[in-house]
Amino acid sequence: MTGITYLLGLLLIPLILSLLIFASRWLGGMTRFVVFLLHLVSVTLVLVISLLIVRSVLNAGEIFGLENWLHVDALGAVFLLIIGVLGFLVGLYSIGYTQHDLQTGDFDNRKLCNYYGLFSLFLFTMLLVVTANNIIMMWAAVEATTLGSVFLIAIYGTRPSLEAAWKYVIICTVGVAFGLYGTVLVYSNAFNVMPVSSNASLWTEIVKNASALDPVIIKMAFVFVLVGFGTKAGLFPMHAWLPDAYSEAPSPVSAMLSGMLSNCALLVIFRFSIITNLVLGPSFVQILFLVFGMISVAAAAFFMFTQRDIKRLLAYSSIENTGLILVAFGLGGPAGIFAGLLQTINQSLVKVLMWFASGNILIKYRSRNLDQVKGLLQVIPFTGIMMIVGALAIVGTPPFNIFVSKFLIIAAGLQAGYLWLMVVCLLLLMVVFATFFRFIASMLFGEKPDNVARGETNWLTLLPGAILIVLIVGLGLFIPSDLMSLLKGASGLVLTGNPGQQIAITSLKDFLMPLEHLLP
Amino acid sequence: MSSVTLVNSLAGLLILTSLLVIEVKQPRWSAILYGLQSLVLVGIFVALAYATGAQELYLWAASAFVMKVLLVPWILYTALSRVSDTDKPRNTISLTLSFVLAAIAIGISFLVVNQIQLPAAGPFKPALAVSMAHFFFGELCILTQRNLFKQVLGFCLMENGSHLTLALLAFHAPELVEIGIATDALFGVIIMVVLGNQIYKSLHTLDTSDLRTLKG
Repeated sequence: MTGITYLLGLLLIPLILSLLIFASRWLGGMTRFVVFLLHLVSVTLVLVISLLIVRSVLNAGEIFGLENWLHVDALGAVFLLIIGVLGFLVGLYSIGYTQHDLQTGDFDNRKLCNYYGLFSLFLFTMLLVVTANNIIMMWAAVEATTLGSVFLIAIYGTRPSLEAAWKYVIICTVGVAFGLYGTVLVYSNAFNVMPVSSNASLWTEIVKNASALDPVIIKMAFVFVLVGFGTKAGLFPMHAWLPDAYSEAPSPVSAMLSGMLSNCALLVIFRFSIITNLVLGPSFVQILFLVFGMISVAAAAFFMFTQRDIKRLLAYSSIENTGLILVAFGLGGPAGIFAGLLQTINQSLVKVLMWFASGNILIKYRSRNLDQVKGLLQVIPFTGIMMIVGALAIVGTPPFNIFVSKFLIIAAGLQAGYLWLMVVCLLLLMVVFATFFRFIASMLFGEKPDNVARGETNWLTLLPGAILIVLIVGLGLFIPSDLMSLLKGASGLVLTGNPGQQIAITSLKDFLMPLEHLLP
Repeated sequence: MSSVTLVNSLAGLLILTSLLVIEVKQPRWSAILYGLQSLVLVGIFVALAYATGAQELYLWAASAFVMKVLLVPWILYTALSRVSDTDKPRNTISLTLSFVLAAIAIGISFLVVNQIQLPAAGPFKPALAVSMAHFFFGELCILTQRNLFKQVLGFCLMENGSHLTLALLAFHAPELVEIGIATDALFGVIIMVVLGNQIYKSLHTLDTSDLRTLKG
């Protein structure tokens, strides 16, 4: 099988299965069985094909398809890996979660078909973002993710969920319209200066011809792109939709929005930053990244501190982590980019684990209020462990994965000479640490409410969490050589725009002595 | 009048139609006025095609006519007709203030466009500035209007802005690019209207100031 077959399979399978799942509503008594089966096939095949594509990229550097409209390089592969793995795990968790909704009557067969049909459709749109090489298609795919996910947020049809969905759709569509404007500017400029103008929409070709682009247009375009897709990634101050959408969506959907979708938006920003760096040099992008990153971390840290709603707290934590990734990229250099990419993977895993735990809590306690969720370990001990691991990991304690990436970010910052910025960053992370400490303590201690029965909901709401814990601890202890080489390739690409360029890891060794065992 | 002047004058007319879309009291009328604005846009495409000899633009004009003059206004008009006339939420800022803001947007756009060194844009710089200002009119509409469907129209105005920019800067671009953008925008409008209807059915309001449960 070739790259093109994989790429087509990756996109067509979830799309076709999504339509079949929508149509399953007319199967009568068979509906539930067929929907769960098709859904499982969809997420499993997406996982397998994603891994196959990542392997091909490791071997070949990059793969193309559909007259170069589709393309995966090392950078795309990192994001594809996240979507493939997390899509599968959220898919498993969803089955457990919706089974509970079916029992309580919150879901009927029609809603079930809508949920899983939209699930695969949403998955398809995110896969399209990370595999798109045509920048217009990339924009269209990001827009499509909004349209694919909005009815997932509003699936319960309650007043707050409808409000959240409206806020989400209007703010993100407008945001992404800014992204469109930036995309149109880059495309128009490329169209006029490239030797083969029909290639002007292909990202790989624009990168090769970047030196001919107009600096003023590219500067303007990048600001539009950052504001536009930054809205989708949830950067402050364009984040207004995010806490509402994340908290009102069903927990597996929150997990997808926070662990997968925000990364898609980041990837698009990074792709445009590569072009911008080649035209303007790195400092323009770096300053913007540092500014947006730091204010996102700072604002989120303080919003979190006052939060009593579990899901809203996690939502603000997402903003904080996205901000931190941007800070890492803003630091620049091989170390900053590498650390930022590692942080992207790590925080996605941890975030999804915490959304799973929050979903289990919501099912059991029927509340997201920290004042009502007490005695977690007595009621649902395994979910309690998921939440503890998640909280310890997200604040960056060893031996969990985020410790490594946060450490690398700070090291990269010191290496780049941003001492005071890193001090401020650490102070803000202390606020986050305190918040999560209080958060966990509040849930673990205290007597469980009388109306809450002991016992977990079902094993499918736990298994994906257990797998995530293994991954989180595993990545905290060592980084597999394949992942290492993918991250090195992706960092090299971000820095130079050249897909064959891996960063020289020896230069990392010089200032990462304490973590030398991580390096080959 | 040369066709270049025609393009720039029609672009001026776009500003007027935009302000009408934003300020007209009856939401249903703003859907019709949006159709009228799109007709002006189609006119610009045709004039531009004539001025530059870019045959592709005739196709753009045809597809924009179908989607933006007929389809989108019709979708919004029907959506707005179905909801009762009693909810006519007012704007959050005064007419004068929105005119002042619009003027500022136009001023800034002219300043920015003057910096661009692109041969293709040369004679059409006024129109280019208008297309960029349009983008901010859309934003203004979304921020100041409390009717859900008028916010959708704000998005449509923004989209018309980027459409015109694309036409002015890359008029030889393949039709597929333009169709892709227009179709996606159409889907956006449809999804937002469906959601708006669902909100009206469940919550009996189209006024965003009634949608304030979520805070903090």
